[in-house]
Amino acid sequence: MKKRLPLKVSVSGVRGVVGESLTPQIAARFASAFGTYLGPGQVLVGQDTRPSGNMLKKAVISGLLATGCQPVEVGILPIPTILFLTREKQARGAVVVTASHNPPEWNGLKFIGPEGLYLSRSRVEEFLDIFHQGEFTFVAAERIKTPGQEKNAGQHHLNKILSRLKVRTIRNRRLRVVADCANGAGATLLPQLLRELGCEAMFINTDLGGDFAHQSEPVPENLKELCCRVREFGADLGLAQDADADRLALVDERGRPLGEDLTLALAVSYLLGQKRGPVAVNLSASMAIDDLAARHRVPVIRTRIGEINVVEAMLERGAVIGGEGNGGVIWPEIHPCRDSLAATGLVLEMLASRREKLSTAAAEFKKYHLLKDKMDCPAELAFRAVVELRHRYQSENISTLDGLKISWSDSWVHIRPSNTEPIIRLLAESRSPLRSRRLIENFKKEIKVIIRKLP
Amino acid sequence: MKLLKLNISGVRGLVGQTITPELVIDFASAFGTMLPPGPVLVGRDSRKSGLMVLEAAVSALLSTGHEVINLGICPTPVIQFLVRQRRAVGALAITAGHNPAEWNALNFINGQGTYLNEFQGSELLDIYHLGRFDHQKLKKSPAVINEVNPEEVYFAWLGQKLRTAEISRARFKVVVDPCNGAGARLVNKFFSSLGCELIAVNNEPSGYFPHDPEPRPRNAGEVASLVRATGAHLGFLLNSDVSRVSLVTETGETLSEEYTLPAAADYYLRLQPGAVITSLSTSRMIEAVAAKFRVPVIRTRVGQSALVQALLQEDGSLAGEGSGGLAFRGFQPAFDGFAVMGLLLEAMAVEQKKLSELIRALPRYHIVKDKLICPPHRLHSLVAETRKLYPKAEMNSLDGLHFTLKDAWVHVRASSTEPLIRVIAESPTASRAQLEVDRVMSFLNRLLG
Repeated sequence: MKKRLPLKVSVSGVRGVVGESLTPQIAARFASAFGTYLGPGQVLVGQDTRPSGNMLKKAVISGLLATGCQPVEVGILPIPTILFLTREKQARGAVVVTASHNPPEWNGLKFIGPEGLYLSRSRVEEFLDIFHQGEFTFVAAERIKTPGQEKNAGQHHLNKILSRLKVRTIRNRRLRVVADCANGAGATLLPQLLRELGCEAMFINTDLGGDFAHQSEPVPENLKELCCRVREFGADLGLAQDADADRLALVDERGRPLGEDLTLALAVSYLLGQKRGPVAVNLSASMAIDDLAARHRVPVIRTRIGEINVVEAMLERGAVIGGEGNGGVIWPEIHPCRDSLAATGLVLEMLASRREKLSTAAAEFKKYHLLKDKMDCPAELAFRAVVELRHRYQSENISTLDGLKISWSDSWVHIRPSNTEPIIRLLAESRSPLRSRRLIENFKKEIKVIIRKLP
Repeated sequence: MKLLKLNISGVRGLVGQTITPELVIDFASAFGTMLPPGPVLVGRDSRKSGLMVLEAAVSALLSTGHEVINLGICPTPVIQFLVRQRRAVGALAITAGHNPAEWNALNFINGQGTYLNEFQGSELLDIYHLGRFDHQKLKKSPAVINEVNPEEVYFAWLGQKLRTAEISRARFKVVVDPCNGAGARLVNKFFSSLGCELIAVNNEPSGYFPHDPEPRPRNAGEVASLVRATGAHLGFLLNSDVSRVSLVTETGETLSEEYTLPAAADYYLRLQPGAVITSLSTSRMIEAVAAKFRVPVIRTRVGQSALVQALLQEDGSLAGEGSGGLAFRGFQPAFDGFAVMGLLLEAMAVEQKKLSELIRALPRYHIVKDKLICPPHRLHSLVAETRKLYPKAEMNSLDGLHFTLKDAWVHVRASSTEPLIRVIAESPTASRAQLEVDRVMSFLNRLLG
C-alpha cells in the first residue's frame, strides 16, 4: 500500500510534515485561497519558533500578495496576541505558521478571520471550497500591494492586559514565579508581563531556536523540571504555557502540578467574585464550574468542543469568563480567545488580592475527580455506537450537542468520537477517583458490546 | 488566452494569469533541485509584482535546502557578476526586461553567472515536468541573508576595467532614463564614479513605468529633448534590468537600438580583436565593422543564452544583438548595460569624438521591424510557410527563417518570450525594407484569416 502522506486539513487549519506533505506549494495555495476568501485588505502573518517557519511564511506572503492582500509580518508571537492584534489593527484576518504541539518536524497554517476570531465551521467550509476549486482571484500587477512589518507588536496586547489588572496590588506582593515557556512563542512576552507585575521571576525553556525541551502540552508528566524549580526557587507558583501560549497550567508553591482543568476553575472562581455574568465552557469542562456559577447565581452555557464554539457562545450570551478544561482561559475583556497571558494576570491578581497561597486556593477543587481516556474505534462504528447509547440513555439527563453527555446529580460522563483520529474519547467526573474510573470502564465495556452486536 | 512562455533560460508571463505563486514555487523548486548544494542569489527589477515573485522563489529555494542571498532590487548584470564573486551555485533574476509592467519572469542563472545553456535548460524543464522536487525536512533552516548595496563591489570592479581617469577628464554631461527600473538611483553612483554630470529622468525604482521599458526611439522622446535642452554629450535609455541600452546623440537624434552593437564594437574590437557573435535578426552594420578589423561575424539564435554560450565557445571578442544587449569578453559573459555605457564614454574620451561622429563612421542601413500576434500553437507552422514567399533566396533556418536577398535580408521568427511572430527586414533604403516587411505581414495575415 502506498504510504499515506500526513497532511491534515481541519477546522483549525492545515498541518503536515515539512518537506513531505507540507511544501511551499501547498502553503502558497492555501494563502491564495485565503486571500481570495478575505478579499483585498491587511492580513497579519505570524509564526511560531519552528525552523521551517521562515520558508512557509514566504510562500504565504507571496500567496497573499498575489491575491491583492497586504501582508503585515508580526514575527514570532503567541497565538492570542496575534488574534488580539487582528482586531486591534482592524485587519481582514491573519495567517499563523504553526503546528502548536505537534512534533518539531511538523508545521502548519492557522487561519484567523475578521475581528480576530477563528473561522466558524461554516466559514471554514466556504474557505476550503475555494481551496479545492482552485480558482483564486489573482490581481493584476499594478494592484499588488507592498507588504508591511510590525515591530514590537506584542506591546499592544500587554498594555491591554495591564490596563485590566490591579497592577499596584500585584506589584506590592512581589510574587516569586517560575515560568516554563515550553520553547514556544510565550517566551516573547511572558517575561515582560511578569516584570511589569513586579514579580521575581525565573524562566526555563525560553530558547526560541526551534528545539523543544519537552512535549508542549502542559500536562503533569511534561512539567517535572518546572515542579523541581518551583521548590528550589521557593516560588509562590509555577506557570506552564504550551507552545502557542494559549493554554496555561499551574504548579503550586509546594511544586505540585494542579492539573490543567484547575486553571479555568480558579479563573472563573476569581472573576465571578469581581464581576457577575454568564459563564461559557465546553461540555468536557469540570462540574466545578457549575458549582461556582450556582454559588454566584449565574448561568453556565455548555458548548460543543472547539475553541470557536465557546467563543461564539460567549459573544452571543455576553459571558464574562469562559474557556476549556485544557487550561484555555478566555477572558473577553482582553479578547475572546484562549490566552495564557491574560490567565496569568488573573491568577496573579487572585493570589495578590486574596493574600492566600495557591495550594489553599486550589484546595476547594480537590473534591472533583475528572478522568480522561480513549479507546480505538473506526470513525463509522464510533458514530453508530454513540447513536445507540443515545437511545439507551434517553430517559436520563443527556446532552447530544457533541457525542453524548450523561449527567447525574454529582457525576457525569462524556463520550465523543474524535474528529481527527479513529478513536472515541471518554471523560468522567465524580467526587471520587474510583467512581470516575468505574464510570469510564463501564462505558468502555458497554461500547464494546454494542459494537460487537452492530450489523 | 493565457500567456506563458518558456524558453531555455527562463519563464515569462502575465502576472496573476500565469505568473502565480504556485508556478513560481514549482519552477524555483525545480531550479533548487537541479543546483548542487550551496548559496543562491536572488534579485529583481522594480516591478510591483517583484516581491510576490521573490518571496515565492525564496520559499522554494529554502525548501530545497539552499541558503539565499537576497539582493533586493538589483540589475541582472550585477546579479550575474556577484554569482561568481560570491561563489554561489546559481541565481534567479526576477525581471521581464523590456516587457510592459504587467509582465514578469524568472531568469535562471548558473554558477558561472550566465543564463542556463540548452542542456541545463532542458534538465530544468525535465525536473519541472516530473514535479519531484527535493524538498528538505528543514530541521535547521538555511539562512536568508539580505544584502545592502550589493552593487558597490560590482562598480568597483567595473571602474577598474574602464579607463576611468580618461573618462573623468572629459567631464561628460549625460542624460539617462532608467525607466524607474532596477537601474534607477544606481546610475547616480555609476556616472559620478566616472566624473560625469548626470541628468536623470524616471530615476526612482518604483516599478511605475512611464513608458514601456524598452530602449528604442519610440520611448526616447524625453531623453532627446533633455539632451538638446541641456547641451548634454549623449543620452542613454535602459530597460528594466539594465541588460539593454539605446543611444541618443548630442544633437538629440534618437538612434535605433541596432546602433548600440556596431558603435561599441567599433571601439572594443580595437582593444580586444576577435569574433563578433550576433543573432540572425541583427543589422548588417556589424559586418562592416568586423570587416574593418578583419574578424569574423558568427550568427546564432536570438537571445542572451545562445549569444553568450557562443561567445564562450568561440572565444570571441563580444556578443550582442539588435535589441541593445551586449556582452564583452574582457568584462563578463552577460548582457551588461553599465559596461556598454562605460565603453561608449571611453570611446568618446579616447578618440575625442562626439557620438554623432562615431555613428557617422558606420554604414547606414534601414531596419524595419513589425510583429503579428498569433496563437502559440500556430507560431512555428506559420513561420515555416513564409518559405514559399522566397523560394529562390538563400535561407538560414537556425532560428525561424532568415532570407538573404540581393540587397536586403528578411528574418521571420517566433518570439521566444511572447506569442508573436517577429518580422524584420533590412536594406540600404528604408522603402525597400518596408516593402519586404509589408509583403511578409500581408502573407501571414492572409494565412491567419
